[in-house]
Amino acid sequence: MKDNNKTINSRRDFIKKMTAASIAASATTIPVASFLSSCSPEVKKMAASADSVILLWMAGGMAHTETFDPKKYAPFEKGLETNSVLSTFPKHPTAVDGLEFSEGLQSIGGVMDKGAIIRSYKAADLGFILHTRHQFHWHTCYEPPQSVQAPHIGAWIAKELGPANPVIPPFIAIGQRFTMGEAEELKAFHSAGFLGSEYGPFLIPDPSEGLDSVRPPEGMSLKRFEARYKLYKELSNKSEVMAQASDYQRESLMRSMEQSYRLLNSPEAKVFDLSQEPKEKYDTYNTGRFGLGCLLAKRLAQSGGRFISVSTEYEPFLGWDTHANGHTRVKQMKALIDKPVAQLIKDLDESGHLDRTLVILASEFSRDAIMEGRPGEEVRDQARRQPDKIEHIRHYGMHRHFTDGGSILMWGGGIKKGLVYGKTADERPCVSIEKPVVIDQVHQSVYHALGIDSQTHYNVESRPFYTTPDGKGKPILDLFGKEMKSTKNNNA
Amino acid sequence: MESTNWILQLLGRLHPLLVHFPVGLLVVAFFLELLTLKGKKTGLREGITWMIYIGAISAALSALFGWFLKTQEAYTGDLVDNHQYTGIATAVLAIITALMLKSSLKKETLNLKLYRFTLTLTVVLLSIAGHLGANLTHGEDYLTAVLPGNKVEYNDEESGALLTELNGAAELTELQQDKLSLKVRGLFAHKCYQCHSDNKQKGGLVLEHKEGVFKGGETGPAVVAGKPEESEIYKRIVLPANDKKVMPTKGKLLTAQEIALVKLWIKEGAHWSDQAVKVFPEAALALTKPELPKVPKETHPLDKLVDTYFRAKAITWETPVNDRVFIKRAYMDIVGLLPSPEVIDAFLEDTNTEKRSLLIDNLLNDKEGYTQHWLSFWNDLLRNDYSGTGFITRGRFQITGWLYNALKSNKSYDQMVSQLMNPDKASEGFIKGIKWRGVVNSSQRTEMQAAQNIGQSLMGVNVKCASCHNSFVSNLTLDQAYGFASIFAKEPLELNRCDKPIGKIAKVNFLYPELGSVEGETLKERLLKLSEVMTNKANGRLYRTIANRIWERLIGRGIIEPVDEMDNTPWNADVLDWLAADFIDSGTDLKHLIKRIMTSKAYQLPTVNYKTEDALKKDYVFKGPVLRRLSAEQFSDAISQVIAPVYVAVAYNPNEEKMPAKRIWHHQKDLTNTVLPLPGKRYFRKTFQLKKDAIKDASVLISVDDSYKLYINEMPVGEGHNWTEVGKYDVTQLLTKGNNTIAVEGTNEGKIGNPASILFAMRIQHKDGQIENLYSDETWKSTAHTPKGNWMRFNYDTKRWKKVKNYGNRNWAKLLDFTFKSHEKTFARASLVKQHAFLKALGRPNREIVVSKREEQATLLQALELTNGAFFNGILKQGAEQWLHTYGHDTEVLVDTLYQKLLGRHPSSDEQKILIGALGREPSTAQVQDVFWSLLISPEFQFIN
Repeated sequence: MKDNNKTINSRRDFIKKMTAASIAASATTIPVASFLSSCSPEVKKMAASADSVILLWMAGGMAHTETFDPKKYAPFEKGLETNSVLSTFPKHPTAVDGLEFSEGLQSIGGVMDKGAIIRSYKAADLGFILHTRHQFHWHTCYEPPQSVQAPHIGAWIAKELGPANPVIPPFIAIGQRFTMGEAEELKAFHSAGFLGSEYGPFLIPDPSEGLDSVRPPEGMSLKRFEARYKLYKELSNKSEVMAQASDYQRESLMRSMEQSYRLLNSPEAKVFDLSQEPKEKYDTYNTGRFGLGCLLAKRLAQSGGRFISVSTEYEPFLGWDTHANGHTRVKQMKALIDKPVAQLIKDLDESGHLDRTLVILASEFSRDAIMEGRPGEEVRDQARRQPDKIEHIRHYGMHRHFTDGGSILMWGGGIKKGLVYGKTADERPCVSIEKPVVIDQVHQSVYHALGIDSQTHYNVESRPFYTTPDGKGKPILDLFGKEMKSTKNNNA
Repeated sequence: MESTNWILQLLGRLHPLLVHFPVGLLVVAFFLELLTLKGKKTGLREGITWMIYIGAISAALSALFGWFLKTQEAYTGDLVDNHQYTGIATAVLAIITALMLKSSLKKETLNLKLYRFTLTLTVVLLSIAGHLGANLTHGEDYLTAVLPGNKVEYNDEESGALLTELNGAAELTELQQDKLSLKVRGLFAHKCYQCHSDNKQKGGLVLEHKEGVFKGGETGPAVVAGKPEESEIYKRIVLPANDKKVMPTKGKLLTAQEIALVKLWIKEGAHWSDQAVKVFPEAALALTKPELPKVPKETHPLDKLVDTYFRAKAITWETPVNDRVFIKRAYMDIVGLLPSPEVIDAFLEDTNTEKRSLLIDNLLNDKEGYTQHWLSFWNDLLRNDYSGTGFITRGRFQITGWLYNALKSNKSYDQMVSQLMNPDKASEGFIKGIKWRGVVNSSQRTEMQAAQNIGQSLMGVNVKCASCHNSFVSNLTLDQAYGFASIFAKEPLELNRCDKPIGKIAKVNFLYPELGSVEGETLKERLLKLSEVMTNKANGRLYRTIANRIWERLIGRGIIEPVDEMDNTPWNADVLDWLAADFIDSGTDLKHLIKRIMTSKAYQLPTVNYKTEDALKKDYVFKGPVLRRLSAEQFSDAISQVIAPVYVAVAYNPNEEKMPAKRIWHHQKDLTNTVLPLPGKRYFRKTFQLKKDAIKDASVLISVDDSYKLYINEMPVGEGHNWTEVGKYDVTQLLTKGNNTIAVEGTNEGKIGNPASILFAMRIQHKDGQIENLYSDETWKSTAHTPKGNWMRFNYDTKRWKKVKNYGNRNWAKLLDFTFKSHEKTFARASLVKQHAFLKALGRPNREIVVSKREEQATLLQALELTNGAFFNGILKQGAEQWLHTYGHDTEVLVDTLYQKLLGRHPSSDEQKILIGALGREPSTAQVQDVFWSLLISPEFQFIN
């Protein structure tokens, strides 16, 4: 168990490593934009149970009945009624008695005694379902559009807590490219919004190339890199304009260049280098880009990453976005996530970092074979030619967007071990029927774990903007605490 | 209400009397106890004992009676609660103290220490409880209000002046009645809304609107017109401060003058003005041109005003900047480009005394340059972009073409505003907003976005708050916001408070109804009226807002800040008003406005170091311009000018040559879905027939992401490795009558799937003048398998080849050089480029919402992009090769030229020495590249001095 002062210690290190000029800058946390007033004085620091967060993002809508909340298995046969299909995989036991996962997730099942599962997530009702709108909502806690730019949860955390290691950017997003459909909509929430780009995501689309983003440009030796920086400093010191610039302008320029120089020149850059891992370990993780993303997240969390997201990547109709061939695709997706996620938990646990690292696995909403939307609020069907009777394997699966149930997994950072929270119905519609959880609670639970007060806000254009809408999000305190005593029977 | 019992009530009211017993007795006992320390004055013991006993009993009674008072007379609030808790605690402790004393007397000094400790604690608690109680009776600021510096903030002078004016009048005019009504309602807002508004209706009373005031509360009518003495409001505000019925219960009581105003208002019939009450300071709407002060030594009107301001502030004029600094400022501010060394030298040599003014004219006449620089300002302000959210679902429209032409033809601002308010297809994107699919919060419906954006961008007023509930920071109400938004709706909207409908339909209205009606049967009619109302010259706010924005752009700090909040106080109202009025006099000519500012000495002053942000933001005194950081576009364009083109492709091309060529690639599938092309080699073919052989000329344009080898009729034509470099080939000799084959071997690089494409165009001019064109499109075929045999042959078997996929142009922009016309290769202005990671890192915003001021702070992510970004370093490398080729033989010339081009000056001998040291006599590409980098990152380059 690490002490609660870790944050403070590393902050102190952070300051120690910086120049006198930058101390002033970081101490006053200069508001980034002119319209931003300083944080409200009421905000108090609370005791934290976590220092870092890893978000494992199941992009595209992961069906809970096919993964972490399996229902009655309906094996494939021609002529099967679509309506009779709740799960297309058999169930398997997990490390927690009475808790069962869908086939293909046995490794993750094996580490559930180290974490908790929320089985009663309810996504917001945003009408016509657009993945990126729900993802925006999930990541910012605000429904788009907003009249000011809402920050990503990672940006809030970066802003409030700063880097845990001075040379590792506090918000790192791994795995998402921004080149296919809805790229602009994805960019809209991969943003620090009004907090200012200082707190925005450091993007690493391909984890195997992560090192490239933190080392001197290709073809530049370290010696040359250092000489170049020295030349810049020498010329800048001679400059008259520098004398003219306001102190805060000068500081922000000098500080940013120095930080960047230090990061690129630091031994910590090795953290981004996956080839440092033993081959065996690398191979365990290497189920694809997502798996390697987990490996990179592990390395970052162990070296002072603050908020790290690893996405299976959202591309319309790919990944978890199964509009057809659901069964086949979900099988692939499980193979992609099962081993690396479980290994990540094990490795963090072994190195002692899991205690202070909150790992979350979540998706923007769930899926169903029949229902688009939620009971009573059904919306336009977006499945591809889904007949009432299944005649072909491609019709077998969860092809419709379902928002009224869903699973979230959490490990570490003060989360109870072996906890099963909430429940969905066993028959269609498989909606959350016990202790429903909405996104505001999820966010506030994360902030709670990190010791960020629920009333944290900034005044933007004269209006307070809170971490959760109107500062009303409440943490789910039941998630936190010591080991579950009643692990054995809690899901009977 | 709880039932009241007269006995309990009576006892309760004895609480304030009774509390003095414990206060007096226990405190005195405490002091006497101090005297007995160390065994002295033991004779006091008996007296002390009785004091403690009686004190403890009276403390308990006080607490009990206090509790009666609270329950019987409905006291509530934190203050009461805190007083209660500390009071009860005091009573309990007092009794414990008494008991201890008793026991210590028996056991002789055994418990004396403990007793003394609890006594001390009791007295401390007692003081706190007593203080809180006093606060309850006399008001929380009873004591502190008399401290120096804590004088009443609320401006009572105004009340006094109004009272004097109204008392002097025999009969109140309608105008005076209105004034009085608004003043009184302003008082209500400040003093009473906290408990008596729609949101919180204490005692059933709402003072926010007419109905509420005249309906009254549970205790009867609040206002009886003409009869102050019968009006509950008046009766309650005149009560003495310690009366528990006095209003307000929270905060300060009304001053005598304020009470007199309320009385007068009721006496005069409690007239209710239809105007909205102005609780918050609000700038006057009207604009009058201030008289210029007589300052003979200054010729420029703005300088006359600034001179007066300077004298009042005891500031002396600094010497204006020299020609070198001025010409860079002028170029950067008007066309956003660096002046070339030749232009600088010529300007320095020019002896014409009017040369600065002439330079400004010349630059303003560079229509393309001016447009391509100021386009970014307007795009930010009008939320216009070439890519972003909403376009994919056709929920958003560009106004780029309209905006470009408006700037190029220098449309008057009035005309621009009219065309934005009452738009045609080309300019409707602004008020159409961004529409997301699905259910959207009612405060973000597109009609409300229009209201918010017009408010913010054009009128400098925040409608965003009021679009959800009555604003807490301005005078705007929910009614007004919905009335405004309803202009843009098919029919008037239903009001939603915090996204909940409240069953009220908005009345179509403009924020400032005094400017005229915007009602109309049809949308078109309303928009027409809005366009007229907005540009009504009585709407001084429109002109002040833009004048302030342009001033802020050129000087670095607005006359009012933030520039979106035009109700804030200007550092000098005359400067702003004169500038806005002069702008109107010019026929709302934006170039005139820019010139007016730039020709002033105020603009030409040296930059001022304001040291802290507060000095620049809050306690600002104008002394001259502020150092400004280059915008993303200025930075990028300057590099394009001097080092190497940063961009060669544009999102908006004003000189477009429309060609239907498509960006194609091998169709990459995953099961049934199209995915990003995987890395690797792909083979493409297109066959065609030519009916004639008399070809005069045939040429090809090709751009491939990432690289290609092109063959025509089995003959190699060329290859390329960079999609931004258009391959141009003369293929006249390669074509034949009959069958022809185009073959391309294309490669997608990288480790994971990423965009790849071929863009191809061929133009064949026959001798008879006929022209045939051939483009890349879906008729081409491709394969991912390495073909066997000669796949470039016309008759090659392509049965197993697939139809190519049109990958659209989302990931590529229009190449300036993709044209058959002879074209002087140049760079693309960054303002025309689609949002790009490099520009974004440098601070170009995503224009999902209005951005009126960009981030000025340098950030780590930005520094990383500049330090190791492959894109930026690639450009530097390309530039270094070019420079070496031109100047490689002479390092000194290289350094000197670089300084002139980038910084507009020659290097000092120190700098020359450092750089020649870094470069050596025979510099390498890497060395030149690093010198570029060091200078581009330097503050001298990054800031406009």
